Amino acid sequence: MKKNWKVRPEDKDYQAFLLETNKKLGAFLSFSFNEAMTGDGEFQGIPLAVKDNIAVKNQPLTCASKLLENLVSPYDATVVSRLKDKGAVVIGKTNLDEFGMGSSNQDSALAETFNPWDPLVVPGGSSGGSAAAVAAGMVPLAIGTDTGGSVRQPAMFTGVFGFKPTYGVVSRYGLTAYASSLEVPGFIARSVEWIKLALELTAGADPHDQTTTSDVLAEVRPIKKIGYLKVDDGLSPVMAAAYREHIEAWKDLGYVLMPVDIPALEYAVPAYYTIATAEASANLARFTGIRYGVRPDYAQNPQELVKKARTAGFGREVKRRILLGTYVLRSGFQDQYYHRAQKIRTIIRGDFNRVFEKVDILLMPVYPTQAFPRGESGLSHLQQKLADKFTVGANLTGIPAISIPAGVRDGLPLGFQLLAPALHDRDLIQMAQLWESKTSIPAPPNYPPRWED
Amino acid sequence: MESFIGLEIHIHLATETKLFCGCRARFGDEPNTNVCPVCLGYPGTLPVANQQALFLGYVVARALNCELSPRTVFERKNYFYPDLPKNYQISQYEHPIGRNGFIMVPLPGGEVRKVRIHDAHLEEDAGKMIHAGDMSLIDYNRAGYPLMEIVTEPDLKTGEEAEAFLIHFQRVIRYLKVSDGNMEEGSMRCDANVSVNFPGKGLGTKVEIKNLNSSRFVKKALNFEIQRQIGVLKQGGTIRQETRLWNENRDLTEVMRTKEMANDYRYFPEPDMPPFEPDPVFLEKVEKAQTELPDRKKARFVNDYRISEESAEFLIASRYVADYFEEVVQIGIEPALVASWLSGDVQKLLNRHGLTLDTSPMSARRLGQLLRLLNEERIHGKIAKKLAELVFEEDRDPEIIMREKGLEQIVDFDVLRGFIKNVADEYPAVIHSIKNGDERQRGFLIGKIMEKSQGRAHPQKLQKLFDDFLSEVTA
Repeated sequence: MKKNWKVRPEDKDYQAFLLETNKKLGAFLSFSFNEAMTGDGEFQGIPLAVKDNIAVKNQPLTCASKLLENLVSPYDATVVSRLKDKGAVVIGKTNLDEFGMGSSNQDSALAETFNPWDPLVVPGGSSGGSAAAVAAGMVPLAIGTDTGGSVRQPAMFTGVFGFKPTYGVVSRYGLTAYASSLEVPGFIARSVEWIKLALELTAGADPHDQTTTSDVLAEVRPIKKIGYLKVDDGLSPVMAAAYREHIEAWKDLGYVLMPVDIPALEYAVPAYYTIATAEASANLARFTGIRYGVRPDYAQNPQELVKKARTAGFGREVKRRILLGTYVLRSGFQDQYYHRAQKIRTIIRGDFNRVFEKVDILLMPVYPTQAFPRGESGLSHLQQKLADKFTVGANLTGIPAISIPAGVRDGLPLGFQLLAPALHDRDLIQMAQLWESKTSIPAPPNYPPRWED
Repeated sequence: MESFIGLEIHIHLATETKLFCGCRARFGDEPNTNVCPVCLGYPGTLPVANQQALFLGYVVARALNCELSPRTVFERKNYFYPDLPKNYQISQYEHPIGRNGFIMVPLPGGEVRKVRIHDAHLEEDAGKMIHAGDMSLIDYNRAGYPLMEIVTEPDLKTGEEAEAFLIHFQRVIRYLKVSDGNMEEGSMRCDANVSVNFPGKGLGTKVEIKNLNSSRFVKKALNFEIQRQIGVLKQGGTIRQETRLWNENRDLTEVMRTKEMANDYRYFPEPDMPPFEPDPVFLEKVEKAQTELPDRKKARFVNDYRISEESAEFLIASRYVADYFEEVVQIGIEPALVASWLSGDVQKLLNRHGLTLDTSPMSARRLGQLLRLLNEERIHGKIAKKLAELVFEEDRDPEIIMREKGLEQIVDFDVLRGFIKNVADEYPAVIHSIKNGDERQRGFLIGKIMEKSQGRAHPQKLQKLFDDFLSEVTA
């Protein structure tokens, strides 16, 4: 573990640096410089960035939505309190696509976040603010949430590590639910050591979350065989070439690389969006402006108040997903959509299980392209959804995955992901650390590393 | 015309805390004091199933002879309502705790009807919205309170039968100690499904009646609704499938919403909680929590204790009274005596003091003591009644009060003879006339002697000694 931290949360210089950097990047939605350190341990005095859909007591919890712009959380998420207990200080809350629905941070209703590598491309999403903050050296570690790739894809877009633990290992208590059965808290850092530490300190059953498992993480196995997903098309030329090189790089490190097929992955995106939007349609129903959040100045009756608050408060993409989710759950149509999606989920799980009978670790692309351009010249909402093909598998099956940086091309980072069977999270941490030790992890040109040796 | 009634009954389960959070499940507190981020539906909070509620749920389902689910699943029932914090209710649908049960219900007229139970499931209650002038206020204290919903098949025919069902059902849940079943306070609520049809045609079009918050309203509302539907059919009309509300001020049912306005609840399994699978130890505890239900207890009381049907009916109306009765009988008191005291003197005193047996100073031990004193002839009947009053007033053991106040019966012959002698000396003329055969004066003198003893003289012994005294005087 690295000891020579160069800044501390209470440093005025550090705070000035954060404010200055944030003017350029918009990574944070809010800072809490007066936050007191409440714990003691491995994270003593370490500033932490937390995605603004995760509860931090007495800090905003906007979910980047107009509807919750004024909400202050009355409690701490378990993943936050466990790190606070070890001395971490939550320095601020980072931007995201509203309620985690998006892959670019362009669907934040509150702020624009820019990619530290190039202000013309997106930082990815939905944990784009967290990833940008880490990539720019604002914090050593950020917490995000990964519902369909929301930690791994922005990590890749900004050239850092992004880890999604096994479902049920790190508590979801305090994560504003988008798709409960798919999402987990995840960690983003430039150095794997931070992720390792955060995982070890936050893993474990939580009495506030009945979906956490009492099973403990498996000990590290000797890794020999890496299966790599055969990808015939769908990758950008740059990404396709980089993928081939990346496979060779692991061979050079002495691993056996085998091509594998996951046929059901073809259906992963529709299954994912059916389940995710179905759950979202219920999860987001609680936001009405009645008990908290922004409400209209006037309404004739409670029903009208709810309607006005939601009409004004939700962004287009959020409304689209709520509508879609409501549609797939209608009685008489569940067999056609929701139940069918669940069947596909089971088939995908079977496909992954078969792969892990043959190989120890699975290697896959994270995203078909590098960070895409902002605005109209980028990807449409539909294209963005289709591009989730490689990330949603880990969410549908609950298995752990880590995206690792793999060099820079055309001034933008490249990256791929490693996946392991459920509870073998430590294997991924070890593989990522090995990768980190064998390659250089470049920082964006104007943002030198600050938290590493 | 034939009529068909099925009931949907909600009962609040008597748990310490709410169904999915640690808030106190209690009524009557200041609005919005028993609330937390979980039951207010704050972002990020998750439900954690209350094990005690699951247990009580299984106890009810078992008592209603349901098939118990080996794997019960919570689901989300989606609908928007301002007092429902998450705008979905966590309920059960495909895998309720129990289904296909039945309950034997004594109906007016003596028939005992088997009423089938469609299912029994667990769900959370909503808050309470109050409209005050141009404002709407919401109290979330009740939000998340554990509810058990019991749905019957349409096996009842009249308002009277439905009322009898509810009274019996209420007794059963009180016997099981799973709920206080108080309809006035809303801890037991009832909706009804009613249809009528021409004889032999089977079920008619179902109309749901809501807002039946007392068993009397249930009777009135259902009888009104049956007559309304019969009226419609007789005039050649058709019944609309709709939900109607009982208007207790106007004594009629009114349309609340039609079928077209019905919600699609879009049920789906609750992803935040795994299914609950009771293990053998849990099920054994459920079995142990079963208790003799009122109808069985009544039969046993009549049979074993040789008391009348009426007495037994009085005793079994509450499990507390029934258990109290048996406790006193255990002390060794004649059951008929205990029963008559409970329905007579004790009940009178309870009424006078505005108490119920469980809150009164007259514990089973104290009543046993009182009746033992009576049996052992240490007090006589009148004193016993007085002692009972004193127990209510002073909240102390009857034997102690008896001693302190010197209420014990006087059985000592010499003392009694002393009283007789004194009175005889005061009224020599009366003695004389009795001796001459004027028996009417006898009662007067006995009364005077009793007075001398402050009412404590043993009546039979006194009579006997007085007779002896008279014969001695004569001789």
